[in-house]
Amino acid sequence: MDIHISKLSKSYFSEGRRIEALFDVNLAIPANEIFTLLGPSGCGKTTLLRSIVGLEIPDEGEIRIGDEIVFSKDKGILVPPEKRGLSMVFQSYAIWPHMNVFDNVAYPLQTQKKPKEEIRDRVKKTLHFVQLGGFENRPATKLSGGQQQRVALARALVAEPKVILFDEPLSNLDAKLREETRKELREFLTKLRITAVYVTHDRIEALSLSDTVAVMKDGRIVEIGTPKKIYFDSDRSFVADFIGRANLVEGSISRVGINHTIVDTSLGPIVCRKKKDVSPGDAVVVCIRPEFIHVKEKAGGEGPNLFSGRIDSLIFVGDAYEGEIRVGDTELIVRVEPTLDVKQGDTVALSFDPNHCSILLK
Amino acid sequence: MQRKSTPLTFGLIVIVGLLTVCPVVMLILGSFSQGLGSFGTFTLDKYIQSYTDPAFAEIIVNTIIFTLGSAVVATLLALFLAYLNTRTNIPFKFLFRIISIIPMMIPHILFAVSWLLLLNPSNGLINLFLKDVFNLSSSPFNIYTLPGMILVEGLLDLPIAYLILAPALASFDVSMEESSKVCGASNLRTLFMVTLPILRPAILASITLVIVRSLASFAVPSVIGMPGRIYVLATHIYRIIATGFATDYGMAAAVGMSALASSTILIYLYRYLTAEGDKYVTISSRGYRPAVIDLKKAKYPFFVIVAVLSFILIVLPVLVLLYTSMVPYSMVPSARAFSMMSLRNWTEVLGDPISILSVKNSMFLGIVGATLGVILSIFVCYAIVKVRTAASGILESLSFLSFSFPGIVIGVGFMWLFVRTPLYATIWALLIGYIATYLPYGIRPLTSAFVQIHAHLEESSKVCGAGTLYTLRRIIIPLLIPGIVSAWILMATMFVRELTLSVVLSRPGTEVLAVQVLRFAEDGLWGRLSALGIIMILISTTLVIIASLTGAKFTKIQTVGGDEPH
Ligand SMILES: Nc1ncnc2c1ncn2[C@@H]1O[C@H](COP(=O)(O)OP(=O)(O)O)[C@@H](O)[C@H]1O
Ligand SMILES: [Mg+2]
Repeated sequence: MDIHISKLSKSYFSEGRRIEALFDVNLAIPANEIFTLLGPSGCGKTTLLRSIVGLEIPDEGEIRIGDEIVFSKDKGILVPPEKRGLSMVFQSYAIWPHMNVFDNVAYPLQTQKKPKEEIRDRVKKTLHFVQLGGFENRPATKLSGGQQQRVALARALVAEPKVILFDEPLSNLDAKLREETRKELREFLTKLRITAVYVTHDRIEALSLSDTVAVMKDGRIVEIGTPKKIYFDSDRSFVADFIGRANLVEGSISRVGINHTIVDTSLGPIVCRKKKDVSPGDAVVVCIRPEFIHVKEKAGGEGPNLFSGRIDSLIFVGDAYEGEIRVGDTELIVRVEPTLDVKQGDTVALSFDPNHCSILLK
Repeated sequence: MQRKSTPLTFGLIVIVGLLTVCPVVMLILGSFSQGLGSFGTFTLDKYIQSYTDPAFAEIIVNTIIFTLGSAVVATLLALFLAYLNTRTNIPFKFLFRIISIIPMMIPHILFAVSWLLLLNPSNGLINLFLKDVFNLSSSPFNIYTLPGMILVEGLLDLPIAYLILAPALASFDVSMEESSKVCGASNLRTLFMVTLPILRPAILASITLVIVRSLASFAVPSVIGMPGRIYVLATHIYRIIATGFATDYGMAAAVGMSALASSTILIYLYRYLTAEGDKYVTISSRGYRPAVIDLKKAKYPFFVIVAVLSFILIVLPVLVLLYTSMVPYSMVPSARAFSMMSLRNWTEVLGDPISILSVKNSMFLGIVGATLGVILSIFVCYAIVKVRTAASGILESLSFLSFSFPGIVIGVGFMWLFVRTPLYATIWALLIGYIATYLPYGIRPLTSAFVQIHAHLEESSKVCGAGTLYTLRRIIIPLLIPGIVSAWILMATMFVRELTLSVVLSRPGTEVLAVQVLRFAEDGLWGRLSALGIIMILISTTLVIIASLTGAKFTKIQTVGGDEPH
């Protein structure tokens, strides 16, 4: 089921200050996809999610789930959370500590007054699905973090909701478990073909789990796109910077060619991928990801975007070196293959493919 | 949601304010009045009269020695026990939990009486025994002295000191000690140069709190101090209103003001110290275990000390009372003593109409009082924890206010209040006074219960499709039950044994157990006292068991401890 959000705003007052948690948010979340809200902590992701599920009442705007308007300021509609037929996995899991696993998972069905037989079967099936078969009688307090997370997931899935919402469900797990659970979650959700809205501040989670990513900042949606589009072809320097390590070089458009656009920067002219809707003189930012900068021991070769610089630092991080190379006055972070025989202080040659240099608006 | 509940908070502020502030205001006004009959006429007579009394200086000195002495005894013992428990490999650690909880179940007045029965100079059992064995002409021990009072009060306040010190020691960052040892210091040197100085705020907090407790204590000063003619502030006030020729509530109020003021200042000091304490004692977030010191061969001697202490604190008082209730007069346990045992004291107590009335009254106060008190506490905690408006802060301070008030002083304040109402000399006067004074005992456990109900637990129920009532029934109430049960148990046991307020407020017809025990003590009727004391302990224990069983029926899993987000 798709979700349409229009002109949603919400502000809080705390200690005499007004905080705009959401500002004029417009969003169309397509059905049966994993849609991720990504942004730094405090940007309003949780507020948006809680507004969709009905735990927070926005100040302005409208939310439509499928064909039903669940909130509209203008029409005076407010459907309470228990009537929205959604489900949610909380950041704290919110497993009820006085119940066992069965009762926790059966709860949504019990509220619907389903027959006992049916409840038992469906709980069993769902627990099996999240690989917690046989855990029915375990007290909720006797579960590990990963198991609690699965119970929360089972509880969210058992009533076959229209939409399932996740608020940073992996942030309370340790790094290794987080990685495993992320893969499992992806598997579960793809199998179910369900509409999922997933909130996270972790870019790797967002990139690896989602069909569509919406990046948020200061209560606003900055950019929406597929993970690849967001990573390689973002429009905004904030997004490019947030989604991964990037060299952001400021400059201005010097020439718009047929296949490429040339930008004047402190490094010199850089040939970039073609960008529409810019004209010479516009102030822009060029984004070059470290993994696309080729480092060679000796200068030479042909093509665009050839520079030389001095290695300021070189840190071994396992699969490669992380280097800082100074070109003129600009410091660039690069990835240096461990096979390359260079050391700090060496002068090296750099080159980058114009197709991996994207032009961002400031 | 916030705005809707403001009337609730406001209403609670009025109720709790009436309960806790009213007696204080009446006390202050009363201290400036001539007497209960002439309330409102302003005079300084009572202050002049009470503070220029030449005997008053001695009372102050006694009070200071008694409170400080008890604080030092309790804190040193608690420090020793807490260190052994948290930092060494002493066996049978469960004993420490028992030591820290069970003595609270034994009413203070009975504990004091049992020591008196052991150590009084004329027929204390230990004295009689030592005289027999060593052919002494006079008794080696005399409990009717300041050291005697300090010993008993110190033992009584040991659990409080332990409950402050044990967590501080347990959360102590061991790396500070380890770095001292790395620098070459021995265990003992590390203890004195590093461990104790870092624990200083906790130690000072423990001393302060025990001073407040012993300042408010009435059981030990009345049972042990008064026969020895050693008066402290609490018993001085009692003497002014309860004994002798003319009772003078104006003077009692004037004297009470100094106890109230000292107590309030000390509580502020305690708050300050515990707030500071967090800065010093670093509480590590990782679940690490403090390094354990191997006591090696000293393990068992230390354990014997702990075992003897637990025996003294828990078993001995009950044994002494049980024994005394069966023998006709004080005598050392012997074949002859056992042959003379009878249930005479028991039949006399059970046939005594006033004793029976006090049993009924105390049970009524325990059951009805605790129930009403818990209901009030639930609303107060809800307003403090869940509604959280600016007014909840006021409510919170108000509801903990009575914690710093000495019972007998607040009793005098209530007296000034109730004389003006039809409540005077009724059981309801006691009930209101009890709830007002012991409100923190209900609020403490319920606050933690409410805090544990993270908002997400409620919200996730709603998202699952449950309405407000269904959420209340299946989530909120079951999660609150353990808190409700402990609040009820605490209040009910405090009410069944209540002495300090009751000696002021109890009138013919509203006798309660502890006051009746005090009367028996004053008349030297030790056998009947012991029988009634045992009845008192039985009633408390029964209430505790019933409450726990009822609670367990409501929730199968008692431990509330959901994973909070970091
Ligand atoms: N109940 C609240 N009262 C006051 N401010 C709030 C409340 N909830 C959230 N905020 C503020 O709104 C902003 C957005 O919060 P949130 O949606 O929780 O961010 P995120 O989930 O992206 O970290 C933050 O600045 C936060 O401090
Ligand atoms: Mg959040």
